[in-house]
Amino acid sequence: MPKVWVARGLKKGVLTSRFPADRPTSAEIPESALPPSPTPGADWRAGRKECPTGAIRAEEERVDLGMCIYCRRCSSAGFSFGEGAGQESRALQAGAVADVARATRRAFRRSLHVMMIDVGSCNACNLEVLNLSNPYYDLTRLGITFTNSPKHADALIVVGALNRAMVDVLKRTYESMPEPKMVISVGACAISGGAFTGTEGFVSPVGEAVPVDVVVPGCPPTPIQVLEGLLLATGRMTKATRP
Amino acid sequence: MAYSNRVEVRRVEMLEDGVQLASVFKIGDHTYVMLSDTKANKTVLSELPPTLGEEFGPLLKGVDAPAGAHLDMDPGGRVEGYGVFEFPYGPVSFGVPEAGGFKLVTYGERVIKVVPQVNFKKRGVEQASIGRSPQDALILVERSAGNFSASYSTCFLTAVEESLGLEVPSKARWTRAAAVELERIYNHLHVFGRLAEAASQNVAAAQANALKEDVLRLNSKHFGHRYLFGLSVVGGVRRELSKAECKELSNASRVIAREFSELVSYFLSSRIFLDRLQGTAKLAAADALRLGAVGPAARGSGIQWDDRLTYPIEPYEDIYVNMETDSGEDAMARTMVRVNEVESSTVVLREILDRIPGDGARAGAEGHRSRVDLPDDFSFCRVESPSGDLVQVVRLDNEGRVSGLHIRPPSLVNWLPLAKSLQGNVFTDFQFAFESFGLSFADSDR
Repeated sequence: MPKVWVARGLKKGVLTSRFPADRPTSAEIPESALPPSPTPGADWRAGRKECPTGAIRAEEERVDLGMCIYCRRCSSAGFSFGEGAGQESRALQAGAVADVARATRRAFRRSLHVMMIDVGSCNACNLEVLNLSNPYYDLTRLGITFTNSPKHADALIVVGALNRAMVDVLKRTYESMPEPKMVISVGACAISGGAFTGTEGFVSPVGEAVPVDVVVPGCPPTPIQVLEGLLLATGRMTKATRP
Repeated sequence: MAYSNRVEVRRVEMLEDGVQLASVFKIGDHTYVMLSDTKANKTVLSELPPTLGEEFGPLLKGVDAPAGAHLDMDPGGRVEGYGVFEFPYGPVSFGVPEAGGFKLVTYGERVIKVVPQVNFKKRGVEQASIGRSPQDALILVERSAGNFSASYSTCFLTAVEESLGLEVPSKARWTRAAAVELERIYNHLHVFGRLAEAASQNVAAAQANALKEDVLRLNSKHFGHRYLFGLSVVGGVRRELSKAECKELSNASRVIAREFSELVSYFLSSRIFLDRLQGTAKLAAADALRLGAVGPAARGSGIQWDDRLTYPIEPYEDIYVNMETDSGEDAMARTMVRVNEVESSTVVLREILDRIPGDGARAGAEGHRSRVDLPDDFSFCRVESPSGDLVQVVRLDNEGRVSGLHIRPPSLVNWLPLAKSLQGNVFTDFQFAFESFGLSFADSDR
């Protein structure tokens, strides 16, 4: 039986992404994961009216990516998402909200153990984070591995709109992680509540319950974008060294 | 198929043989029950008869539970004594990568009772949708369960468009159906990959997951989103497939089907894998019917119910769908139902893509009428999601805003069958039982 698998593996060839050595391809970061950007004739007020989460800040004339759920409804108000508009920012969306101490970053540079916790997601973010271990993204090639226990985790990936029933669970999970530790908020729901702001179960953005170091916007963010967040958190990628 | 053949409004006094409870919902001033008559292949609607109120207890509890606190889906029966140990599992664990838990009561190696704990992440989509326009409510509805979003949006919009009396281009309905089939394919591949992982078949799991990633990339290429969010809008779809795209997608689905059947043939020659599935987590047909199991879980116990055949909305009326059933009643049977469905779904998908009607075709309003002859005015729809029958009941007010929404997710009614099937199994079989049902906490919590 092992022979069959080897033959199959050889036939399929190398599937794994070239990221972070190369820029991500359009299959890895599809158009649906590109943020909205205003065209020259964009109408900010109309955009704000269309936006279901209030991500379009008409007064400041900017788009708050942490709130954007990439629903494309603002396209009628002159916001575009295509190659031209999003080219510069393809994949490059993750942002640091807190300055991770240099010592912490050094400690995690070559090896990082990550745990994911779901605090009220729709399952799409969970699946995208899990997809990081499939052959296309193969997280372990970068020295990053998933772990099942907070006691073994260096970084906590939080997905979902923080639910009232999960607040204490999240806090206890965070407290049981050893120092030094980091928290990465993945997806619009974790960052701001996203589409679920104002629902009965939603409490607050994750950042109000535990200190968040890095945010990865998206609904859901693609695996490459999550990976970029992880690399950013460990200092292996900065704005200047992005491919 | 005309509506009158598929839906029957009658007064129900008791659950007859072969009739399964589909849902209980309150719309307006009355409470209704929806039943699946698996013998006549009909959906039966009735006002809630007082004689049946108590029997529906567990399901009613799950449907109405408030957000913000978790809920034990207790199958009943007290178990205590020397040597009985209660093992808490979740809500934070990587075996179940979601916020949801189980209380496993064991005696030695054997599991004697399982209490699924749900609602750790109940957001309250139904309440939050009230007062919104259908277009705004859709954003919430399709994010109730990210991996079933095409099924959710198709179900919701079919009911809404019915209520509004909108004529929807046939092309849009066929495009939605193509998305639902793709969703079924990648979810089944996901379940297959998870089962392989549970059996520590890592190479095989990697191959299955790679195939799933291929389907996700097809989704984003042809429908604009990896998880099919934002494809449908009220009255149509945002993105239509050109003839060339249909051809391309059709060819790609053929490749997926071929690769998957190769993968499956390797799996089925692995004794280690088969041993873990055969005879594991048996769910007798009578229990499946009584406890309300739907989807591959029910079809794996030989129950004949597939909404594509028993409640066909537009494209499925003219398309041949093969109902995949298996009488094995165990985890293997459920897995084989999914395996065969990947195959048959690609066939259905290809037929849809070959026959997508042109721009001019409009849906005849008669074909999918679901408005019913009952005291309150509402419309409903049933869609076969990857994990089974999804029911949504929608009521709109005079201004066209949502004034009532009821979602009966497929995962919610499958928890008790899962708990039942685990009784008497060894503890280490838990992962296989759970994955073979393919349930999602996001879906059941909504």
